[in-house]
Amino acid sequence: MSKIMTVDVLSSIKGAKESEAVSKLFEVIKSTNATTANNVNTNAVALNDLREDVVIHSPQAEKDIIIENFPREKNGYLVVAKVIEE
Amino acid sequence: MSNIRKIHNQLQNKEISCLELIKNKLDLLKSNTHHTVNSLLDNTALALAKKVDAKIANGETIGLLEGIPFGIKDVYMVQGTYTTASSDLLKQYKSSYTATAIQKLLDAGAIPLVKENGDSFGHGSSSENTIFGAVKNAINPDLVAGGSSGGSAVNVAKEYTVFSIGGDTGGSIRQPAGYNNVYGLKPTYGRVSRFGILAYASSTDCVGPIAKSIEDIRIVLNTMSGKDVKDQTTYKSEEIAKEAILNANEIKTVGYFKNFIENKAIDAKVKADFLASIEKIKATGITVKELDFFESDTLVSTYYTLAMAETASNLSRLDGTNYGARIEGDNLKDTYAITRSENFSEETKRRIVGGNQVLSQGFSDEIYLKGLNLRDQISENFEKDFKEVDIILSPVTPNNPPKIGDSLKDPLAMYLSDAYTVGFSLGQLPTLTVPQGTATGLQITAAKNNDELVLKFANFLKDTI
Repeated sequence: MSKIMTVDVLSSIKGAKESEAVSKLFEVIKSTNATTANNVNTNAVALNDLREDVVIHSPQAEKDIIIENFPREKNGYLVVAKVIEE
Repeated sequence: MSNIRKIHNQLQNKEISCLELIKNKLDLLKSNTHHTVNSLLDNTALALAKKVDAKIANGETIGLLEGIPFGIKDVYMVQGTYTTASSDLLKQYKSSYTATAIQKLLDAGAIPLVKENGDSFGHGSSSENTIFGAVKNAINPDLVAGGSSGGSAVNVAKEYTVFSIGGDTGGSIRQPAGYNNVYGLKPTYGRVSRFGILAYASSTDCVGPIAKSIEDIRIVLNTMSGKDVKDQTTYKSEEIAKEAILNANEIKTVGYFKNFIENKAIDAKVKADFLASIEKIKATGITVKELDFFESDTLVSTYYTLAMAETASNLSRLDGTNYGARIEGDNLKDTYAITRSENFSEETKRRIVGGNQVLSQGFSDEIYLKGLNLRDQISENFEKDFKEVDIILSPVTPNNPPKIGDSLKDPLAMYLSDAYTVGFSLGQLPTLTVPQGTATGLQITAAKNNDELVLKFANFLKDTI
């Protein structure tokens, strides 16, 4: 497989092409000057405030809806395409 | 006048029954021709209304939000309801859990009526990019409702809901609020939990209320705010007291961006009306300062570059494997590609492709990292500005709402129409649209975490202009 991935492959969208309108936005970014601005939007959580690393089981009602949403089912099994292929 | 308080008093004093109220609103929603409804939650709503009536009949006191009917943009999870994001891909998707912000409203007794139409996955500024039909403006149905929370703004404007919960990533609450002459708040990023919203661009996604009064905005904001372990960008905030926002004496200086106004793109009437509002503010003794800011095309390009990168990542999981409208192909990759090609709208595909370009090797340094740097410069500029002024005032949009159909023809023009809203999103600032000052309203912005000051100034403007 080629190492260069085109936008349609990257996006998993058949026939996807670069948009002229979006390219114009990128041109504006390219023409600006980068400076040494500081990141003032620090939204990271403090290390002493992390969630507990424990498994929390969902209620049965939640699990039932997750299964209901699954696109294909056969004989009680959830059907997906083969993963190992090329 | 607060509609929430008015209805609360009517319910408590037995002037109306909750069942009657809910039935009336559901009828209005069912028969409306503005395409605001993706699905109605009628069975749940009627059952909840009966419970409220029973409580009142029993002589019990009800909470302020108990029995108040509200709408939910169709990007929020509400357990057991369809959450489509107005898209083909999730047309049959059922939420397995409930978003934190919505759960808090449910816990307070508010009654959800409707999942509301808007641009698919938040991708749009007109609420035309949807499988449920373009949302029509509440004032003139030939015009767009704005977006992406168009259905929510129209439902509030037409009083089909008392308030609605929209989502704002680059202006998606504020702009439709402006187009339909209602209040719409984008709180400070992190004040309200994003857990359970279908993510568009996670670093600017905000949950916020749309309502017909400042007091209703305050009540709903207080109910939804707070730290949530399920969204680690949330922070603990103080409740905003009713009395705290009645007096704006502490506001001494207001700024506005000169280049937003001295600009060829702004409609002459919007400009004149904005400047007339500034004169009225000056006449009260408040100092008004002109501020320098980034050019509109830089703001729009920075926002869209980052938002597209984030949405390409966020939507990569929508491939029809675990949920969504899977279309089988010859193999796994083919299944992904067909499912996404057939089920995403043209605008969503445009943004995903743009985002993957931004993030791909060779582009990321030149565009993505530079975009992040520009965002930091914009945020620093705001920090500097708020050392000089208490409030920044701006129009919501440069122009009046376009006709339905026009925005879809020219995506670049649609992106550029967001010029006045996206900067505040990148800065993660609290910004409120008020239905005053120009045909599409005014935006009031304060420094980060100062949502209270925004509401104070809104009350001041209500009496001033």
